[in-house]
Amino acid sequence: MSSVKIRNLRKSFGSLEVVHGVSLNISDGEFVILVGPSGCGKSTLLRMIAGLENITAGDVIVDDVIINKLPPRERNIAMVFQSYALYPHMTVRRNMAFSLKLAGKDRAEIAEKVAIAAEVLDLEHLLERKPAQLSGGQRQRVAMGRAIVRNPKLFLFDEPLSNLDAKLRVQMRAEIKEMHQRLKTTIIYVTHDQVEAMTMADRIVVMNEGNIEQVGLPMELYYRPQTLFVASFIGSPAMNTVEGKLSANGLFRFSRGAEINFGDASPRSGGDKDVVLGIRPENINTRRQGIPIGEARIRVVEPMGSETLLSTSVHDETFVFLDRDRQEFSVGDTRVLFAEPTDFHFFEKTSGERLA
Amino acid sequence: MTSATAFPVAKSRTRAGDALTKAVIYIALAMMLVYLLLPVYWMIKSSFQSNFEIQRIPPLWLPADPTLKPYENAGLLIPMWRYIYNSLFVSAMTAFIASGISCTAAYVLARFRFPGATLILALILITQLVPPITRVFPVYFLIQSFGMLNTYSGLIFAYVGFSVPFAVLLLRGYFQTSCPPELEEAALMDGCTYFSAFWRVILPVSLPGIAAVTIFTFLNAWNDFLWASLLLSSGEMKTIQVGIGEFSTEGGSTEYQNAFMAACVVSTLPALILFFFVQRWLVGGLTAGAVKA
Repeated sequence: MSSVKIRNLRKSFGSLEVVHGVSLNISDGEFVILVGPSGCGKSTLLRMIAGLENITAGDVIVDDVIINKLPPRERNIAMVFQSYALYPHMTVRRNMAFSLKLAGKDRAEIAEKVAIAAEVLDLEHLLERKPAQLSGGQRQRVAMGRAIVRNPKLFLFDEPLSNLDAKLRVQMRAEIKEMHQRLKTTIIYVTHDQVEAMTMADRIVVMNEGNIEQVGLPMELYYRPQTLFVASFIGSPAMNTVEGKLSANGLFRFSRGAEINFGDASPRSGGDKDVVLGIRPENINTRRQGIPIGEARIRVVEPMGSETLLSTSVHDETFVFLDRDRQEFSVGDTRVLFAEPTDFHFFEKTSGERLA
Repeated sequence: MTSATAFPVAKSRTRAGDALTKAVIYIALAMMLVYLLLPVYWMIKSSFQSNFEIQRIPPLWLPADPTLKPYENAGLLIPMWRYIYNSLFVSAMTAFIASGISCTAAYVLARFRFPGATLILALILITQLVPPITRVFPVYFLIQSFGMLNTYSGLIFAYVGFSVPFAVLLLRGYFQTSCPPELEEAALMDGCTYFSAFWRVILPVSLPGIAAVTIFTFLNAWNDFLWASLLLSSGEMKTIQVGIGEFSTEGGSTEYQNAFMAACVVSTLPALILFFFVQRWLVGGLTAGAVKA
């Protein structure tokens, strides 16, 4: 178990800087997930921690020791790759024993550690198979087994579930979480899937264009996103956002002229201000609870069993909302949408920063 | 009324056309096969016939009285087995050295970014654009100045020089497309140095590519006539190709036709055997399961 400090880390490829001075503290035993869209620098950050990418500037500190100059083999960090990266010419047993063999462990110790890891991951019956003879989920478990036999200081996961089908992904999510609860090793996990981040992480780091947008607990990010980017990125279906003007007395005006009166529930804008208003689909209702948003014309109905996802048009803006009351909806119906004033989020239009 | 009889069965309008296309393709392929295999067949069957039978008109397509005498005679008329040994030694050493050099060079060029890498690649490519005949004098004089004329090492040195550029280009492409960098990175994370990652992981995974390069360099050396006749042409040092070439002008094409054909058959065997043994590597599939496709 180890703590990790990342201090003002930068990475450039030629003249192009892709990570712009990122700082982050990760506590001993914490499960931290780096999440963000493709190309946001999260994998590059992970690879710098692993030692697979050179660091342009800044420090990676593990257990109060700067490890920037150490080659990957001397960092005692295990990594699970998106593509599994199993050695195709070796059996599962040899794949898992490879690092221990390189470390010069004796045969009995290797056999014992492999057996324990295989039991934990339910791989015992597959030990003599080669990777080509395994399914996607089994390969993923072997990749995890290869990482845990080493008892490393730190686990790095680089989008490990993105090649699995939806059902297996849910199962593997639970397995990884369970593994963390059992081993209590520090984990840094990269994904672009915000559902993975929300369901697994102790803390989430949202990255965008080489910068950290927000670090926080999953629910904190969900309920109090600090930027418009985080608000739109976290949550599925995504938050509804509408541009408009917010007056000093709490009146939000859509670009087409319609208004919502928030009164005291709105942040103080100090005069007319260009803002982006956000509301999550599950916070919208048709039960007349809260304040009215406007009359919505239903454009698309997507029944999902326990809930129904509806795409609607309100004041020429798109609003998506989730109905959990099992109401009947048809395309073309009109309903008035409501939401509690406290469930709305306000962001400054130009900077995207949250208005308190 | 059952559903099976309720609906008309759609008939394909293009089926007859497809059959015709297939027939044309098969006929063309068969003709091509005959064109390619007939000389080989003629060589093999002649090697078991007497000269009289070979020259009979109309030709005899099967040996009337098969005999191994031509093989015996070939060994007596020319030092065939010595020539074969020469060829084998030179080709095997060339294949071994060229594969070794080219797979390490190709790995570095495929994986590492360093100043001058593009220039090196361009220079390697340029060597492939120069017609081989223009290299005759420089290479000859170079080998001569090293005192390596009529030695195995002289010819091996030349062959390795000719084979490495193409082998590097071929293997570089192989490393880039068939050998994912994550494998090497996983090995580095597991405790390997770059060299041990190459040795323990990349090399075993790349065996199909390396086998292809080895066969290619071996066959190039085995089949070569030009350089062998220039650099290794005296006495018993000749390679089988040069030996057979000379035999053809020393009676091989006239009174010893069957012995000549027997020598030709023997000269094709080592390459055939090598191909038989390494073809399973060429089929590939070793990287299956390494990474999710």
